[in-house]
Parts: sequence; structure tokens; C-alpha cells
Amino acid sequence: MLERFALGAQVAFHPTALLMTLVGVAWGIVGGALPGISGSIAMALLLPLTFGMDPAVALMMLAGVYVGAMYGGSIIAILISTPGTPGAAATVVDGYELHRRGQSGKALGVSLVTGTIGGVVGVFILVGMAVPLSKIALAFGPPEYFALGVFGLALISSFVGRDLVKGLVSALLGLILATIGIDPFAGTPRFAFGNVDLLSGVAAPAGMIGLFAVSEILHQIAEGGDWERIRGRYSTQLPSLREIWSLRVATLIGIVFGTIEGLLPGGGGAIASFIAYNEAKRWSKRPEEFGRGSLEGVAAPETANNVVTATALIPLLTFGIPGSNSAAILLAAMMLHGVQPGPALFDRTPHIVYGLFVGLLVANVMMLVLGYLALRPSIAIVNVRRPLLLSGILGLVLVGAYSINNRMFEVWIVLVTGLVGYAMRRYGYNVLAMVLGLVLGFMVEANLRRSLLISLGDPWVFFTRPISAVLLALALATFVSPILRRVREERRAAHAEGVARPAAG
Amino acid sequence: MRRADLVAGVLLLALAGVYLQQSLGIERGFASDRLGPAFFPQLLGATLAVLAGALVVRAVLKRSDPTPLPPARVGLLWAVVGLLVGYAVVMPYVGFLLATPPLLAAVTVALGLRQPLLVVAPALGITLVLYAVFGRLLGVLFPRGPLGGW
Repeated sequence: MLERFALGAQVAFHPTALLMTLVGVAWGIVGGALPGISGSIAMALLLPLTFGMDPAVALMMLAGVYVGAMYGGSIIAILISTPGTPGAAATVVDGYELHRRGQSGKALGVSLVTGTIGGVVGVFILVGMAVPLSKIALAFGPPEYFALGVFGLALISSFVGRDLVKGLVSALLGLILATIGIDPFAGTPRFAFGNVDLLSGVAAPAGMIGLFAVSEILHQIAEGGDWERIRGRYSTQLPSLREIWSLRVATLIGIVFGTIEGLLPGGGGAIASFIAYNEAKRWSKRPEEFGRGSLEGVAAPETANNVVTATALIPLLTFGIPGSNSAAILLAAMMLHGVQPGPALFDRTPHIVYGLFVGLLVANVMMLVLGYLALRPSIAIVNVRRPLLLSGILGLVLVGAYSINNRMFEVWIVLVTGLVGYAMRRYGYNVLAMVLGLVLGFMVEANLRRSLLISLGDPWVFFTRPISAVLLALALATFVSPILRRVREERRAAHAEGVARPAAG
Repeated sequence: MRRADLVAGVLLLALAGVYLQQSLGIERGFASDRLGPAFFPQLLGATLAVLAGALVVRAVLKRSDPTPLPPARVGLLWAVVGLLVGYAVVMPYVGFLLATPPLLAAVTVALGLRQPLLVVAPALGITLVLYAVFGRLLGVLFPRGPLGGW
């Protein structure tokens, strides 16, 4: 174990790796702070840049973006009351209030320090849980991986919201997109229409850049209007050490809920940070300050969403199940570099896993330093003119897509998936569900067929093997429980309305 | 009646139809691959057809569409999409360095920024930075166009 960390440190402290992680964190902070660019979009935009890199370095760089974007997201949350990433939504409440009172620096400093603490603790939780879990996964064969893929797809029902039909359609579109090209199992061409480019399939990174980034740009163009600019005085006075020490309870609460959410795939920091905010208020000595500029109100959610940057990697690294947009992009990066997540990853390529562990620690320290240096320039980032930002991002998207394979085909894929993604957002479909289908389709199909090859065609193989049976049962529960909860809530709401109305009248 | 869902449902039904029809032409793999290369796509296509049907039925029964966008915004959206498609068509012939600045400038203008300096300088700057990072540093081979080796 220790020697594996030494190996990881060797990888992570290589000059190239350090430089790329630094670039990743810096871009993450900028991307997170840019209005309309979330952490996952910042990651997707950088994905093409990692092609020529060593897989370990590529993952470190992308993880660095993830870490940096959490702080970047809180910059814009605090300065213009817009969450830069979903995880920063709870930070808006007290962070913006602090900024309005001329304490911007204190709010940003608290976010930075507690975020770093959360990120570092998160890495230790990640190591503590992922390594033992990967041992369990050693017993996995094709039926278990099939069940795991089904479980990953079942997660869709927990985040698609009200409209399950549209959520499922979205996932199917992703699965269908994944079937284009050479069949991975038998080698026969499928749905290529005699087109050489289609034969090689739709590269997941191109699909993701289109579905996440281009659709968001089109969405912002269609929404129109300009975004908020920073108003009021902007002070860069940092919090004192004593003030930070007074936040220890809130920080601890953030750690607890960040850990829990990271383990349950499907979130992305947003839920954890809200729960952490509420709990911190409940346990606070000064709950009346919450909502009126409480430093604890910044500390709890920011700790929580930074813990998630590490713990969200647990299901991804051990089982290959991405629980959020950002994790899905990391999975795409792994596939792109021929790295198969799962137990084999820990055994055969420890330098990648442990390099990533150490790299995450490094990235958090870099975030602390860069975040401090960015205190003044962040005004310029947040106040960038919207037409310039959008055209610049479009330029980056087009170049990135082209560079995936040095050809125009991916540019077209990005444009088409971008338009489709925009239409999906506008009419209540779910882009993440489609991406999940795109990245999990191969895993589900190939392992389904491989299982039946081993079992000589007996479909009961999925139920007689205990782990596979448990996973399929879990998948069913995961799929059904959000639906049942929604039905119950609607019934209760209807009931409450019926009771409330006569009283109000 | 939900028009958007109805249109989407019909389009998805058509997609499922084409997809299923195409899946019939997939060659069979080897014998021990019981399900074969066509099974999974056919499962997906059939499921999509069922869900698209549900969407159509529901659209006929329910009401309320999302609030429509103002026509100016729709025009803007299509203008930007048109610029992007035009860029993708033209770029291989004109080359990256000549095609990109006009695209970026046009998008900036379309989105409402009119000061010449704020339009032209960033368009050139962004193009050059992207060219330096991707073309030079990462060795991406961009179409060169009439500018040749530059």
C-alpha cells in the first residue's frame, strides 16, 4: 500500500504532471468563475487537450479542473449571486450577502480554506473506501459488469425529475448513439450507412462536448439578456485565522454530508451542500445570522461540495459508474486513453490510480495558492462581456472537436449533438441521461453477450450469481424508489392543498 | 395538446423505425454469440418506439407547452447555428487561420457587441492563441488553405 503511494507520488510530482495539474486547476478556477460555464463544461472543453498525454497525467489534469471549478463556482456565487456550478447554489445565500456588506474577501477566503480542507479530507476518504471496494470488485465477471451497467442506467430515474418518459428517451438516444460503428464483440459494422467516418463510431468526448458545452452555449444565446455584473464594493480582506477556527463545526458537517453524497451516485455536490447548509444552521451557535451573511453558511456547503470532488470518484474508479456530469467526463477520458475503470485498474495500473490520489492532494494545495492569487483578477473574469465569452468558447469547442481526430467529422458531431442537446434541454429531456447511455452502452451490451457466451445461453446466470443478483435488485430499487417517492409527494401535496384551501378561504 | 411533445414523439417514432429497419441488415456474428450484433439495437429500437408512442398519446391528452421564445431570439439562435454550419463547410478549404476570425467576429456581433475594437481584436487574439496551443504545441494538423504553411 505504502509503496503504491510512493509510486503515485512519483507520477504526480513529475514536472509534466505538476504543470498539467496546475493548468487544470487554473482553468478550473477561471472556468468555474466564468458565468454560464460549469465545472463539467470546463472539463469537457479541456478533454481534447489531453489526447497526447499519458493517461495518468490526463486524469490528474481533469481532476484538477474539477477541484478548481468548485472554488471558481463559489467566486461567481459570492460576487454576482449566480452559482457557477450546481454545488455552489447554497453558497449564494450567505456568500452574496457577505459581498453586499463589503466582506467579499472574507467570503472568498472562507470558501477557499474550507474548500481545501474538504478536498483534502475527501481524498483520504476516497482512498479509505475505494481500495477495499476494489477488492470486492475483483470477483466480478461479465454478468456482474452487466448488472453494474444496468445499475448505472437505473440511476437515471433519480435525477431526471418529473418526466420519466423523457428521461428514458434521453438515455435510449445515448445508447443508440453508442451502437453506431463496428460492433465491439463480433466485429460486424452497424448503422454506418457505408460511411467510413461513422464506422469508427461516435467518440464519447465529441458527444459530450456537444451535449454539455454547445447545448449550453445555444441555451444562453436563446435565453438572451446580459448577466449580472459585480455591483458594490469589492474588498479583498481575508478572514482571520480565528474566524476560520470558529467555522470548525460547520466544516465538519460539510465533510459528513459531502462524504455521504459522494457515495450515493447521482448527485454532484448540489444536494450535499444544501443539506450541509441546513445542518450547519441547526448546529450553529448563531443560527440567526444564516441568510444574513454568515461565514458558517459559506463554510458548510463549500466544504461539502469539495469533499464530493474526491468521493464522487469512489463509484467511478471501483465500478466504472459515473454519478455526475464531471464523473461522466472523467470516464470518457479513461475510455479515450484505453483505461478500463474497475478492480483491474487498481491491480494492473496502480500508477494511474495512486497518481490520481496524490494528484488530487496536489491539486487542492494548488487551488489554495491559485485561489489566493486570483482574488483580484477574479473581478475581470466574472465581468467578462457575454458575447466575447460565448464566441471564445465556441472557438475552443470547434478547435477541440477537430483535434480529437484531426478531421472535420467530430466538428459535425459536436454541432449536431449540440443542437439536439439544446432541443432536449428546452423541451424537458435530460442531457446527462443521454451521456450516461452513451458511455454505459458498450459496457452493458458487451457484458450481456459475453455472459451468455460463458453460460451457453442460459439467462439465469444473472440471477444465480450472488453479486450480480444483488446488483440487479439494487438497480431495480434505485430505479423504482424515486418514482414511488415522487408519487407519494404529489399525493401529499394534493392532500395538503385540499386541507389548506378551506382554511385559507 | 402538447405540440412540442407530439412533434418529438413522431420524430422519435420515425427514428425508431429507421433504426429497427437498419438493424435488420446487420450481419450475423459467430455462432456462439447467442444474441448476435443485432439483438441489443433491436431491443433499444423497440423500447424507443414504445416510449415515443407513449409520448404521442400523452401529448394528445395533456396541454401546456413551454413558453415560446421571442422570435428575435429564435432568429439569433438560427443565425449562430448557420454561422457554425457555414464555418464547418468552408474551413477545410479556406484554412483554419482565415476562417476562424470572421466566425468569432460574426458571432460576437450577432450577440450584440458592436464596438469594432472589441469585436476584431478578441477574434484575432483567440484564433492565434488556439492556433498556438493546438496547432503548434499539441501538433494538431489544421486545414491550411491558401495561407499554406503558416
